[in-house]
Amino acid sequence: MPRIITCYKWVKDEADIKVDTSSRQLTLDRVGYKISDYDRNAIEEAVRMQEQHGGSVIAVTVGPPSAKQSLKDALSRGPEEAYFINDPSFAELEPAQTAAILAAVIKGRLEYDLIICGEGSSDLYAQQVGPRLAELLGIPCATYVNKLALEGTRINVERKLDDGIEKISLPLPALVTVLPDINTPRLPGLKQVLAAGKKPVHNIGLKDLGLTCEVTLNTTGILAATMERRRLRFGAGNEDIRKVVDALLKEGVIA
Amino acid sequence: MDFRLTEEQELLRNSVREFTQQYLEPIAGEIDEEGRYPAEVVAKLAEMDWMGIPYPQEYGGAGADYLSYCIVVEELSRACASTGIILSVHTSLASWPIFQFGTEEQKKKYLVPLCKGEKIGSFCLTEPGAGTDAAAGTTTAVLDGDEYVLNGTKHFITNGPVAGIYIVFAMTDKSKGAKGMSAFIVPREAPGLKVGKHENKMGIRASQTAEIILKDCRIPKENLLGQEGQGYRIAMQTLDGGRIGVAAQALGIAQAALDESVKYSKERVQFGKPISANQAIQWMIANMATDIAAARFLTYYAAWCKDQGLPYSKEAAMAKLFAAETASRHTSKAVQIHGGYGYIKGYKVERLMRDAKITEIYEGTSEVQRMVIAGNLLR
Amino acid sequence: MSGVWVLGERREQTLELLNAGLGLARELGTTVTAFAIQDQGLAKTYIECGADTVYLLGSLAPEQPLEDYVPVIVDVARQKNPDIFLISATPRGKEMAARIAARLGVGLGSECTRLRLDENKSLVMERLMFGGAAVQTVVCLTRPQMATIPPRTFEPAVPLANREGEIIELPAPPAGKVRVLERKPRVQESVDITEARVVVAIGRGVEKQEDIELIQELANVAGGELGCTRPIAEELHWLPENRYLGISGQKIKPDLYIGVGVSGQIQHISGIRDAKVICAINKDENAPIFEAADYGIVGDLYAVVPQLTRELQRVLKK
Repeated sequence: MPRIITCYKWVKDEADIKVDTSSRQLTLDRVGYKISDYDRNAIEEAVRMQEQHGGSVIAVTVGPPSAKQSLKDALSRGPEEAYFINDPSFAELEPAQTAAILAAVIKGRLEYDLIICGEGSSDLYAQQVGPRLAELLGIPCATYVNKLALEGTRINVERKLDDGIEKISLPLPALVTVLPDINTPRLPGLKQVLAAGKKPVHNIGLKDLGLTCEVTLNTTGILAATMERRRLRFGAGNEDIRKVVDALLKEGVIA
Repeated sequence: MDFRLTEEQELLRNSVREFTQQYLEPIAGEIDEEGRYPAEVVAKLAEMDWMGIPYPQEYGGAGADYLSYCIVVEELSRACASTGIILSVHTSLASWPIFQFGTEEQKKKYLVPLCKGEKIGSFCLTEPGAGTDAAAGTTTAVLDGDEYVLNGTKHFITNGPVAGIYIVFAMTDKSKGAKGMSAFIVPREAPGLKVGKHENKMGIRASQTAEIILKDCRIPKENLLGQEGQGYRIAMQTLDGGRIGVAAQALGIAQAALDESVKYSKERVQFGKPISANQAIQWMIANMATDIAAARFLTYYAAWCKDQGLPYSKEAAMAKLFAAETASRHTSKAVQIHGGYGYIKGYKVERLMRDAKITEIYEGTSEVQRMVIAGNLLR
Repeated sequence: MSGVWVLGERREQTLELLNAGLGLARELGTTVTAFAIQDQGLAKTYIECGADTVYLLGSLAPEQPLEDYVPVIVDVARQKNPDIFLISATPRGKEMAARIAARLGVGLGSECTRLRLDENKSLVMERLMFGGAAVQTVVCLTRPQMATIPPRTFEPAVPLANREGEIIELPAPPAGKVRVLERKPRVQESVDITEARVVVAIGRGVEKQEDIELIQELANVAGGELGCTRPIAEELHWLPENRYLGISGQKIKPDLYIGVGVSGQIQHISGIRDAKVICAINKDENAPIFEAADYGIVGDLYAVVPQLTRELQRVLKK
């Protein structure tokens, strides 16, 4: 029966981000937070695996203390306990730091057969934490997985890659990162929402880790993505369509 | 004082929003047009544990509070007011009297399948000649050995055609007037129960409304709810709670009208600028938002009173009165903001305006709510 | 320090990285090193195209995944201390880059779309975040400065005259723990959408699958290929998945993109932002696509598309 760890990140909801077009500054003060989209698939896959094979599912997250809001949300989706590794300095971690913190917690405290992560986070989408964590734990990993099956002491997975499907087999313990099309996460029912608050949460602080997270990347700027476009408007009338076609001809993009 | 919802209530609201985005918004216009009962969505409400929200888990409920139930009705109604009332009638008018007045056996037999969503509940009080004057009902119940025999016709019965369990009010002693009314649990399969004419309604068209005809309808005598003669009191107390549900429904409709108005007024360009740049539009939207905020506080407060075990009859009446009038007034304003488009089928505000009107009528008209409020103040 | 290193999963990606690497090396006054996978011929090509050194990676057994090269690459990187290490951001490349960076204990910029050197000769990388809504600028504080680069971000390097360089063979890696059971190559479509000069994309504004025919006609007349938004491919399955455009799908650079009933979610725009000309047809005048378009036609696609097709037919005499 597999002991499964699923890692998730509490991220700013990019849909709430407002942009000042002249300064290209992002307005983040009224953004909501959510469990990173891809991590919902990771949690769902862990829970499905448990439904199929038994075992246990533990959710682990790293973030600032305000990410506490995420715990009941995550637990309502099925895991039976959560590890909440938090410190005010964990607000804007880079992938290498997140992986190092996760590794430090998992190594010392948790026994596991399988770790499931999302392919990337919906804020940074660096897609590094999964493979980095596997390296730090010294376990094999498979990224971009859209099917997985437990076969005794191994796990067989299908990776969806740019040049086709690759089926690979890994001995446990192992780590996989899953694609969004691996499953459709269920909406938690009300009983699960109410039960979430009664599940154990283990709080771990920076000083419990005995770890200094070295910075390897320096973010020098975050600006709204812009495109220089002409933004010309036309109606649906014949005259207007003709104007558009004329313009496309002049641009030399149709021939 | 704490105006924040609990984390659980926030999570619940988020999941209802995702649910409506996924399952309800895409079909709401269509089921309104066709007058089709969304059975597939109702089945999913049960999977989400929303069919018995405020009832204990031992009876198949979710064991949450009444405020949580309001949040669900509000958010469902924001997408589809028909689904809001299907759930509201089921939960507060059919399940609640069994929970409140039923025996342990009645709860096991009838409340459990209702809470699990295996059966849909319905509430049969209104008759052609007895609307607001509920005690003027002519449906009778006569004890015959171990059975009650019911005769009469109930009309405007929400969930009538789809229900498995009906709470039916009938006179066991006509001479006593209101004090001669009793409440009964009538299962769909009871001999003599028939669904009559379906109503073709102005709004909430996806919720099914019909006549329920009882012709020598025989039910075991243990299906009497409470005592003989308690019916009128059961009906009135049940309606107190139901009104909070209707207030939540009206709130959801009004919120949807605001959402649509904000979106449309920012998109619609006239004279070279979005119409939201006009003060006339801004004022309508400001008034709308303010009234909705007030309606929400009244509604949540009434639910909170009920959860705290405080009296809530007046509070429920105030919430329903204000929320219903808010919904009616501001869905009309929302159509106004949309101009000609708002009058066309397919635009959500057209449906919202039709759906809003009923909230001023059923489970006590706005006039009845004022009577209840005044009665509480002047007694 | 041993200059700029590039690692591409395939030939064309390696050439693109070589081109980027050559520019950086020129500015830094250093050399460029490429990796060639199992193929002496490729190694020679890379030298012709500008590499000073090529590490030739030994052959893998059939059941070994490409990622088994990680320890070999890490070993040589530890010995040689490259200054910059660019890796193609294919799925395998991204996994390898993250694992190499973890083993070396260094930072990594993922899917960088622009590279430049600042006044301290540090590599400044630009990448998208928040689903493409924002551009993050990052600098690596550790060496090598690592970045993954999406395919087709740079033009491929071209052969130069009289090139000489060194080819160094690396040992074949021992088998790791992961075994490949099966490889199913993607069925190659006749046309690669990333190569199309004109792409006509369909979005949720298209009501029924049958209606795609209407848009296909437009694409035919314009000499283009059909693309789509993520829901059309992943939820509705109206078009194959390799036709969806966006931050997590195909990123295209055609001469002309025409969005039909595409609302313009940021995730989709991120895949088309490099189109030379963007044209959009949508009935919602405030659809975000119009902000990203050169030519916006506000109108019902069912009326506009046939008109546009006819007009194109007329002027192109097709």
